[in-house]
Amino acid sequence: MNLFKKVFPLLITLGVTYGLSNSWGTIPPFGKLLSPFHGFWQNAEAPDSGEPTEENLQIPGLQKEVKVVYDEMGIPHVFAENDHDLYLAQGYLTAKDRLWQMEFQTHFAGGRISEIVGDKGLASDQFQRRMGSVYGAEQSFEGMKADPQAKVALEAYSDGVNAYINSLSERKLPLEYKLLNYSPEPWSPIKSALFLKNMSFVLASGTDDLKMTNILRQYGREVAENLFPNYPFEESPIIPTGSPIDFKPVPIPASPKDFMGLGSAMQTPEKDPNIGSNNWAVSGNKTVSGMPILANDPHLTLSLPSIWYQMQLVAPGVNVYGSTMPGTPNIITGFNKNIAWGVTNVGSDVLDWYQVKFKDASKLEYWHGGQWKKTKLRIETFKIKGKKDFVDTVFFTHHGPVVYLSHEKAFKSNIPVGHALRWIAHEKSQELTTFYKLNRAKNYADYTQALSYYSAPAQNFVFASNEGDIALWVNGKFPLKSKLHGKYLMDGTDPAADWQGFIPQAHNPHVKNPVRGFVSSANQFSTDPSYPYYLGWQYAPSERGRRINERLTAMTKVTIDSLRGLQNDNYNIRARKLLPLLLANVRSKDKAMEELKKWNLQNSAESIAATIFETWVSTLQTFLWDDEFASDEKVPMNRPSMDRTIHLIEYEANARWWDNVKTKQKETMQEILTSSFQASLDSLQKHHGAMGPAWAWHKEKETGVRHLIPGMDALSRLHIPIGGGGTIVNATTTKTGPSWRLIVELSKKGTPKAYGIYPGGQSGNPGSSHYDDLIDTWAKGELKPLLYLDQANQSTNRIRKKITLSAK
Amino acid sequence: MKYSLGLILLIVVVGSLIGMYLPWYAMGISAAVIAYLLGMKTKGSFTIGFAAGFLLWALAAYYTTLGHPSTLPSRMAALLPLQGNVVLLYVVTGVIGGLTTGLWVWTGARLRQKS
Repeated sequence: MNLFKKVFPLLITLGVTYGLSNSWGTIPPFGKLLSPFHGFWQNAEAPDSGEPTEENLQIPGLQKEVKVVYDEMGIPHVFAENDHDLYLAQGYLTAKDRLWQMEFQTHFAGGRISEIVGDKGLASDQFQRRMGSVYGAEQSFEGMKADPQAKVALEAYSDGVNAYINSLSERKLPLEYKLLNYSPEPWSPIKSALFLKNMSFVLASGTDDLKMTNILRQYGREVAENLFPNYPFEESPIIPTGSPIDFKPVPIPASPKDFMGLGSAMQTPEKDPNIGSNNWAVSGNKTVSGMPILANDPHLTLSLPSIWYQMQLVAPGVNVYGSTMPGTPNIITGFNKNIAWGVTNVGSDVLDWYQVKFKDASKLEYWHGGQWKKTKLRIETFKIKGKKDFVDTVFFTHHGPVVYLSHEKAFKSNIPVGHALRWIAHEKSQELTTFYKLNRAKNYADYTQALSYYSAPAQNFVFASNEGDIALWVNGKFPLKSKLHGKYLMDGTDPAADWQGFIPQAHNPHVKNPVRGFVSSANQFSTDPSYPYYLGWQYAPSERGRRINERLTAMTKVTIDSLRGLQNDNYNIRARKLLPLLLANVRSKDKAMEELKKWNLQNSAESIAATIFETWVSTLQTFLWDDEFASDEKVPMNRPSMDRTIHLIEYEANARWWDNVKTKQKETMQEILTSSFQASLDSLQKHHGAMGPAWAWHKEKETGVRHLIPGMDALSRLHIPIGGGGTIVNATTTKTGPSWRLIVELSKKGTPKAYGIYPGGQSGNPGSSHYDDLIDTWAKGELKPLLYLDQANQSTNRIRKKITLSAK
Repeated sequence: MKYSLGLILLIVVVGSLIGMYLPWYAMGISAAVIAYLLGMKTKGSFTIGFAAGFLLWALAAYYTTLGHPSTLPSRMAALLPLQGNVVLLYVVTGVIGGLTTGLWVWTGARLRQKS
């Protein structure tokens, strides 16, 4: 028998084994993945038995023993003897439940997805880095390290995450690593900075300057200002009108000269995120208990694993409970014995674009203030799975990075090419110090001191204390601008167009203990136009804010449960105004008309009228505006807001905009309203069949909580039967919604009563019973009582597991 | 027949010990070593290896979820995609284990074979 015949099977077998050990495109490594000793089978976790278990774990780097108790929701309550150990344990425990998510999100933020998925991730990675995400994280990391307490927290947290990574064997890797066939790398403190910077990406990177300039070029300044007004017709600003101003404003810089930018052309689609949030605090004189109650529900993209991770952190000088963001130390929103706080996003304009004039094709110099100035170059290297590295040069002017050069194609349609980006997220900052101090704050003075360190993304920080104070600061670092500065693309050669410093933090809009007995925010305008500084021209639509303020004004004898009801409020305040206007102008004998006429204006899960109304509203926007404002995909423009449309229906029936310029005949308002109504019904019929239960609002809206990897339906929860909507207080849309609901009633004795829920579960492991066990409770609009312990050995029947962490 | 059953049992027992401590492909290699040391006949070697690997993988997979109702197998059965059919997932797991073990046993037998 010849040698070849002898070795031939070996070659085949090695080939097959190699093939099953590696991933091929999206095909996972089947041998490794299916092996019962190594693959996903090892990730199946037994649920809690109900009997408390005890365990000891060795964690290198701890100075003293740390006690951890887990409650029935899998929430760890951590008791440490010093800050260092507290944050080390936070890092370790968070990684234990959420390691893959932490790393994946920071890879995404740092523009490194192509290392995992290959070159299909490159465009997104390049966009992240061209926007300066890594540059910004480096800047803010410098700021964070300047505060010794924040530095301890950051480094200990990182050590804790690494202690967990080092303890992992291949078979214990989180499922997603096995599916995508890679391993975790060591954690480092700058990843926490990347994560926090990514929150600016999520919350403060919206930009319409390009679209506004395209409108300016097409229709002129008068039309642009008329259709895109700088304050809505209907609003209920966060800082109540008439609130006293307790500071002397600094002088406002002069406006730059009017500038008609070049605009630009791109074809890539862009998604409009429906992200907003609600929070409020009610003063003791409106509550049954006589103590303030605070509520918060940040609306973000609903995802699995959840963006939030609940924890209680206890050490000398701190006993705080709330939601953390996997990847960063401290509690982000929550409460302690004395205070509670929460956040919603501020839609201020903190991102501007400057048209750059380069000297020549080398782009080494640009024109500014009458002279040629040198650009700075930053080299970004991209590792790509299965490919050679890609090296990219980013040009920086003094404004910031030139995100796309004139000949390049942008990743998103709202990003102009040939423009430098000035963005608050590139500033050195100390957000961690804010959270460190808020976690330990005892009263209003501590809270305002903590806020003074915060830059971005700007948030409406709602506050309540057991001294009886309620307050709200619109807080962040805001550029000092002349009116409308940065509404349109700006002239990069004009020094007057540059940002001219910042609004002093103490002058940020704020209100404490207002006469009306409550404070609230829902991403609407921070102030009315009487506030001395310009913050931005466009905020989230005012509906949620108006509804919340209307309800809180009317409510007396407020309890935790009545505020829970308000968090779940499905009333459609937009329909209250708009529906009668629509009905008065449309004659139709369709059954759908009857349905609308008898509608109780609730966007409840089963409502058919809500489906008809919401579909009609979005179809109407398309019918009314798209002929003029979406006619050329190379020139992206904004549609005027719904607030503007309602005003048009009410007062401007003869406006030129009603005519569809793409047809020969001239349409009237009645015709557009009627045809959009008919088209809505046709579209609903096409999708759901004849009008009936299949038209239920939740079936049209299709809320889902999706896994972070797109398309992983098996790891997602889809078709959640829930009401609400984008302009509803219960702001649940197809992909976004209340990512965490918290209600806290403070107590004089330091024993606050708190309830909370989020749409997910504590564990990031799809093989754990805690992966998505809170979703059903969340969907029902219910909350879970939160366990706030005094000490680790406190007796309660809610403890399921105790772990003692020690260095040896 | 008895001989074959004995071999299968041996490969399963050794494979499960190896699987607990070494990388996944070591299970197959251990089966090849057994075939080589025992001087197994080439004819029928793949079948014996396949049977052993199938049993080892399918039973061990079943064992991981024994005693608790994890949703993971049904999620994976939906993801792979097997229409959420968990029984099929055990079968596919067994087939992958059978295929690799069978190939390795065949390799071990052939390497030893004289003529």
